[in-house]
Amino acid sequence: MQGATWAFASVEVVHLLGLALLGGAVLILGLRAVGVILPDQPLGVLARGLVALLSAGLVTLIASGVLLVADGPLRYYANAAFRLKMALLLAAILSGLHVYRALQRGSQPTRVAIVISALLWLGVGLAGRAIGLL
Amino acid sequence: MSPLLRICEWLHELPLSTSIRESENAYSVIETVHVLGITAVLGTISVVDVRLLGGVLTQAPVARIARPLIRLTWCGFIVMFVSGALLFAAQAATLYSNAAFRIKLLLLALLALNVVAFHSTVFKSVEAWGSSPHSPARARFAAFVSLFLWSGVIASGRAIAYLNRH
Repeated sequence: MQGATWAFASVEVVHLLGLALLGGAVLILGLRAVGVILPDQPLGVLARGLVALLSAGLVTLIASGVLLVADGPLRYYANAAFRLKMALLLAAILSGLHVYRALQRGSQPTRVAIVISALLWLGVGLAGRAIGLL
Repeated sequence: MSPLLRICEWLHELPLSTSIRESENAYSVIETVHVLGITAVLGTISVVDVRLLGGVLTQAPVARIARPLIRLTWCGFIVMFVSGALLFAAQAATLYSNAAFRIKLLLLALLALNVVAFHSTVFKSVEAWGSSPHSPARARFAAFVSLFLWSGVIASGRAIAYLNRH
């Protein structure tokens, strides 16, 4: 049992590291989209440059997140914060793909899409914190 | 009794610390703010570190990325520090003997040394090498050390709560 607790805690740490990677890149893009930082870096160039980091963060989050849920799926299934988080996660991923498709087409991603995406990710994080409180 | 422990017990008994402990939600709310602050700090630092390692934004000069982001890192740091100080004060007497908390403070001190060492040496000549996608070995070393120590900060930070609970 003690071993299992530490296994869970270790996966939580990986989940937090993924959060920092993804959250940091999302924060930078969001603040650039509203013009607060890096005004000399075109939004599209910055977004394209951060795709690798965003993907690495997302893969880390999903892989560690699946392991965390696997520890007690029924416990999470009944948790309202978890359900909200999954809904927000789906919306955040879809909005991210929307931005990514604009980049693939070579067009400039819209500021609105990036800001909405950043806010959705903030919601995912807050709902995630609430899972442990319910 | 060690003077350090006496200071911790004094902090623990402050009215602010007591009210955080006794409130139903204050501790969790401050914890959440603390994690958001860490996300801003580590998120911005890892973008700079990974740029130094040649992983992202390789077309942009290092200084063009690092200098504006450092301001954002400091904003996150203030949030992280203030919320961290409140979390510490509320549990100061028990955290004094928490091994994970001691390791976390040690790692943060090493991180501060790494920042000072990096900024007082190789970063001074960033204009000379920053435009290349490949950074000098010392810059890559500092970036690696930073990412490694920060992972330790996250791990020991998470462990604090586990040790405190049991």
